[in-house]
Amino acid sequence: MRSPLYEYGLFGEGISLLVAVAIGFFFGFFLERGGLGNPHKLTGVFYLTDFTVPKVMFTAIVVAALGLYLLSDLKLLDMSRVWIVPTFFWPQIVGGLLFGAGFVLSGYCPGTAMTGFAEGRLDALIAMAGIGAGSFLFALLYPFVENFYLFSPMGDVTLPVLLGINHWIVLALVSALAGTMFFVMERYERAH
Amino acid sequence: MERNNYWSPYIAGAGLGLTLLAAFYVMGKGLGASSAFSVTAAVAAKGIAPEYAGTLKYFSRYLSLESPLRDWIVFEMIGLFAGALAGALAGGNFRIRFDKGKSIGNTARLFTAFGGGMAIGFASRLARGCTSGVALSGGAQLAIAGWIFVISMFASGFVLAAFFRRLWQ
Repeated sequence: MRSPLYEYGLFGEGISLLVAVAIGFFFGFFLERGGLGNPHKLTGVFYLTDFTVPKVMFTAIVVAALGLYLLSDLKLLDMSRVWIVPTFFWPQIVGGLLFGAGFVLSGYCPGTAMTGFAEGRLDALIAMAGIGAGSFLFALLYPFVENFYLFSPMGDVTLPVLLGINHWIVLALVSALAGTMFFVMERYERAH
Repeated sequence: MERNNYWSPYIAGAGLGLTLLAAFYVMGKGLGASSAFSVTAAVAAKGIAPEYAGTLKYFSRYLSLESPLRDWIVFEMIGLFAGALAGALAGGNFRIRFDKGKSIGNTARLFTAFGGGMAIGFASRLARGCTSGVALSGGAQLAIAGWIFVISMFASGFVLAAFFRRLWQ
């Protein structure tokens, strides 16, 4: 078990920035090829006219999740050295609610705004300026939101750990859920 | 509308999933995006008003570093731009334009783009990330963070879209 490669010291911080550019390149390439630089497609899901966002997103989640847990079970990847996204229950619920509103209003999220800009969309550049301004506003108001920001921490808890069941059961459920969702979306799109 | 010369969302999604898996395998962390805007905002604030920026507790996580822009996500976003540009040029999607819904004007679009962006910027700080860092990366890790963020994001998006149909339809 010699991976994550960076965590096991295969290369240093300087090389890690080159890796960042390379990984970012594929990230942006697939976002663009999937149509996720286009705000009409990005917001389509909320109007039930275009399901590109959930299709791309849940395909990516399922592929990466199956790969991650498979590599871990095959002892090819040391999961304890992977940085797990920490859970802060209420801040992430409220953050998600506000984020959804911003998504519909602007037609983008941070990564897809950069994608839209790379396709020549100047409104995406305005949205990016807004994202920077919103980050600044957060820093400005931080003394007032700090208590809430740090409220309800749950650590790096995952669904299998929380539910106390084997991760392959959760992975099967998530895959089945995604598959069912895709089936319903395809049916709906054909009917409309 | 647009010419539709995009790939199947399932193919693009699989590519995106493999990219995320590569990030886990090589770096031991997932993808991200929003923090690049936060770091940049902090550095810009320091450039404009260094003393004031130094008093902002939240930005000290970036500004206490020797070179805040020497950051993994900032470099990843540079790569993202290059990759998206390559995809746009290859697919014939590159065109300078100001995109908006059919039934809103240019001024309104300026406000929705900037205002929506602001909500996203604020929300991403509160949630510890965005659709990339929390929803996609957290979701794939089966982290609770990713799933509660995804559910609340879609819920509020649906409600807002129902009230503001003219934004995009």
